[in-house]
Amino acid sequence: MSDAYVFDAIRTPRGRGKDTGSLYSVRPIDLLSGVLRAVRLRNSLDTSQVDEVVVGCVTQVGDQGGCIARYASMAAGYDYRAPGVTINRFCASGLEAVNHAAAMIVSGFADLVVAGGVESMSRVKMGSDGGALTDPTCQWDVGFVPQGISADLMATLHGITRMDVDAFACESQRRACASLDSGAFRSVVPVVDRAGLVVLDRDEYPRQETTIESLGKLNAAFEAIGARFGLDSLTRRTYPQVERIQHIHTAGNSSGIVDGAAAVLIGSLEKGLSMGLKPRAKIRAAATVGDEPILMLDGPVPATRKAMARAGMVAKDIDLFEVNEAFAVVPIRYMREFDVPPDRLNANGGAIALGHPLGATGAMLVGTLLDALEERNMSTGLVTLCIGGGMGEATIFERV
Amino acid sequence: MSQDANFSDGIIGLTFDESTGIATLTLQMAGKVNKIDAAFGMGLAQALNQTATLAGLRGVIVASAHRDWCVGADIDFLYGANDPAILLDFTRKLGALYRRLETLGVPVVAALSGSALGGGCELALSCHYRIAVDLPGVQIGLPEVSLGVIPGAGGTQRLPRMLGFQSALDILLQGKVLRASQAKAAGLVDELVPDVAALRTAAEAFIAAHPAAKQPWDLPGYVWPAPAPGSEDARNLFIAASGMLYKRTAGVFKSPEAALSAVHEGASLSFDRALEVEQRIFVAVSVGDQAKDMIRTLWYHRTAAEKHEGLPRADKDGIRKVGILGAGMMGAGLAFLAANRGYEAVLKDIAQPVLDKAMEHCGDQIRKSGKHLDEAGRQAIRNRIRPTLQTADLAGCDLIIEAVVEDLDLKHRVTREVEPLISTTGLWASNTSALPITDLATASQRPASFLGLHFFSPVEQMPLVEVILGKQTSQETLARALAFCRSIKKLPIVVNDGYGFYTTRVFSAYIIEGAQLVAEGHDPVLIEWAARVAGMVVPPLQVFDEITLKLGRHVLSQAERYIGKIDIAGVDLVRRMVDDLDRPGKAAGRGFYDYDGGRRIWPGLKDLAVGKPDQTGVEHLARRIILAQIAQVGHALQDGILMNFRDAEVGAIFGIGFAPNTGGPLSYMDRQGLGNVVAWMDDFAARYGKRYAPTQILRDRAANGMRFFPLDSPPT
Repeated sequence: MSDAYVFDAIRTPRGRGKDTGSLYSVRPIDLLSGVLRAVRLRNSLDTSQVDEVVVGCVTQVGDQGGCIARYASMAAGYDYRAPGVTINRFCASGLEAVNHAAAMIVSGFADLVVAGGVESMSRVKMGSDGGALTDPTCQWDVGFVPQGISADLMATLHGITRMDVDAFACESQRRACASLDSGAFRSVVPVVDRAGLVVLDRDEYPRQETTIESLGKLNAAFEAIGARFGLDSLTRRTYPQVERIQHIHTAGNSSGIVDGAAAVLIGSLEKGLSMGLKPRAKIRAAATVGDEPILMLDGPVPATRKAMARAGMVAKDIDLFEVNEAFAVVPIRYMREFDVPPDRLNANGGAIALGHPLGATGAMLVGTLLDALEERNMSTGLVTLCIGGGMGEATIFERV
Repeated sequence: MSQDANFSDGIIGLTFDESTGIATLTLQMAGKVNKIDAAFGMGLAQALNQTATLAGLRGVIVASAHRDWCVGADIDFLYGANDPAILLDFTRKLGALYRRLETLGVPVVAALSGSALGGGCELALSCHYRIAVDLPGVQIGLPEVSLGVIPGAGGTQRLPRMLGFQSALDILLQGKVLRASQAKAAGLVDELVPDVAALRTAAEAFIAAHPAAKQPWDLPGYVWPAPAPGSEDARNLFIAASGMLYKRTAGVFKSPEAALSAVHEGASLSFDRALEVEQRIFVAVSVGDQAKDMIRTLWYHRTAAEKHEGLPRADKDGIRKVGILGAGMMGAGLAFLAANRGYEAVLKDIAQPVLDKAMEHCGDQIRKSGKHLDEAGRQAIRNRIRPTLQTADLAGCDLIIEAVVEDLDLKHRVTREVEPLISTTGLWASNTSALPITDLATASQRPASFLGLHFFSPVEQMPLVEVILGKQTSQETLARALAFCRSIKKLPIVVNDGYGFYTTRVFSAYIIEGAQLVAEGHDPVLIEWAARVAGMVVPPLQVFDEITLKLGRHVLSQAERYIGKIDIAGVDLVRRMVDDLDRPGKAAGRGFYDYDGGRRIWPGLKDLAVGKPDQTGVEHLARRIILAQIAQVGHALQDGILMNFRDAEVGAIFGIGFAPNTGGPLSYMDRQGLGNVVAWMDDFAARYGKRYAPTQILRDRAANGMRFFPLDSPPT
């Protein structure tokens, strides 16, 4: 048994996830191979020594079908002896790839793994892979609602108001814009075209001009489908006591739809040192949990508890938290649960301002966390995401 | 003249006209209707075999020798189908025959001279063209889900491929049955003709013009009506359809859910295998408990009640002129229903504004239901209603329906005043919802002609009438009253006299238990949801608000005169709501609910609780809500109010919205096991009050292991 170490963690900037977004003209395989290539070049990596390229990607159809990890790594100039696997754990797929890599190292199944994630939401529409989430039979057998309804349900259950979520969203924008201006996102590598010209080198989703007033004018995004089409009623099988869901989430206080990719180089200390790599952090513990699927988004709480228990830590031992801002209610609820000071959570802003490229986000947050810990000279950090189907995943990192 | 091939002696007759090359398959099952069973399947197989051998075949017309075209599955067969393997085998064979019909290689036309329902409609969908006679009474549709099953002969696959998901689901998930013209508008039929004579010409014209007709889904390059399966729009449509269905049903009804599943799953498959998916879902639903319970009551019992089985018959009601006392919602509605069926209706009230409002209501109803009539026809109905303030205008009435305020003295007074004016053979019916008919009849000189006709509000929509016999009501009176009810298309149950009769006793127990549960400290939101999960059509606090707490309070104090003090906290809660808190009900905008910005439980309700429940939760509350009613059903059986089991089921479901998914209170007891039900009631009686205690008749039947309805055969 050996510990798993992070040697490098980088990401693309996030482009707006529609046909006017900068990264719409870039194939998802190119987004991914771009960061894989950067990992290879930055670290002078002998890719024949890579035991696995494991990549999270949620919507694995069309441009993202056909095991994108395998073809992106070869397109990035990796030795074909480095195999590739693409995995889907919905919104935590990128972190799942990191944990998957770490588990391989710790178990001794592998010595050096490149983990990562990719999602071009502009090209491959969320949900276009079909499956259980639109299958009525699955609705009757198990039950599910669109995540926005889960978010509004969570807010209703916890008495979290429109003002709370808008204020949080506004602060996320402020932090993200400040981080962009200060160059705090040191893990970003530009996306370039075939000619080597830069397509995008800076996150383009944040809105500097956001105010609480401007947020307050937006319509609740899930009110119509929830109330008119009866989707709210689908929560009552599990939450019969909720007479009416307060719809408070809008496009302004929910995660943005964006494109992007990330890669994280993970290995044993011995292997890394033998290849001249410098460790940035050790992975202390990780946990994945299943949680109630209609509320769906509360998984970070039990996942965090489980990971902290494994690491023998309590919340106060964690210096910084990255809690994915799928919807503002998720980090707000999380802060209340663990009594986290606001400046310790999503210190550089989150997905409300920056966007949430589904399969990539978990891997992106690793770099964002390590950048922030290093900048503040802090030691431990935790990344966690809520997950479709009612799951949660959390990983604790400690700088070395 | 050419020689016709003729195999016309079978279940499906075959004639062949060599000059035109057209074969006619005539559905001509023994008896009065064509229905689908094993014999039908054999007949169709034989007819198709023979058709295939015909030299010079150019087209097929499927016709009927009966009034209806084909009314669908033989319910006896479906109800008795308990072995899934046997039912699947039958269904697959039938599906293959329908498939064979639409792939004969020549155009096949359904000549719909009468109704095509369920499996009959599916047979029509398996033809290349559907021509219907546009006459009233011709009905086309797929009502399966209303009997707890789904189409099993391709309906969930052909209809969406023809009409698209949205239109197909509109029909399938609600079990819609349409008139011919509506069916044409919906795309269910292709052409309308004015009469049966025109059918054949139209059918031959289609065959001549479409020698190579094929079903769209059998053509290369077939494109689904938008949205295409798997598209973003289709995904959104299925999510929304699931949500809207659940909102309507609270997940209680299995059959519309299954129909939606079949449509969704089959859409992405090859046609033949899509049929198989439907068949497997059909079988699973059809052999299930809910299908049996719903078929028993919603088919067998309802049909028997419709036919007045076991009830005295009069050839004519002997009624020309109907007098209605009291022009409220009920009186106005009854005047419309009577006039609409050709009776002369005198609508009497003591206040002109009430009459004006009533006539406005009648006008609306005539416009709404008389769309098929011309203005003169509508005017004729209007002219048959005579609003009046004059008692003298009631002279010569053959039937009085008294619908004045629920007050014994007032009712006595109007009886004494009006009865002498009516015809010597005139009947007197009180629309009281609770007061014993025998007591009301004490004011009558002719108690043999006096009975109760308890209609339900809104009377235009509610199908039931509870017919109550006073001690002296004659069989002739009953027979004539029933004939009148048949004429205005009301579904009757006939019960003996006693305070609250059958439906009001059960219904009162339902809504009072709602108030009682609030008083005990249960979350009102949970109470309402639990009622819906139990299958109740309208939750108790909502329906209490609708009839108004004020009326409820009045009825409760009246009831005490007959059945003694109802000593539970819920009664006091209703009193406080009305007297102290000024929350009289929905009409005032304040009751158990607030109505500003949509209906929501009034937040102050929780403060009225007088205790804290030792046990709560949806399942527990649902059982309390059902058993509180069952206890009263037990009394109605014990006291002889109910004369038969059928009326217990029909009255509960069609009168007061008792959980249709259960088949009714007696079916519920059979399904749960009467021994279990009695034990639960004893437990509840000990914990929550003696109103839950089972009557002796329930105990005895439980002790003897008796069911209300036979397990494996249709009820008798």
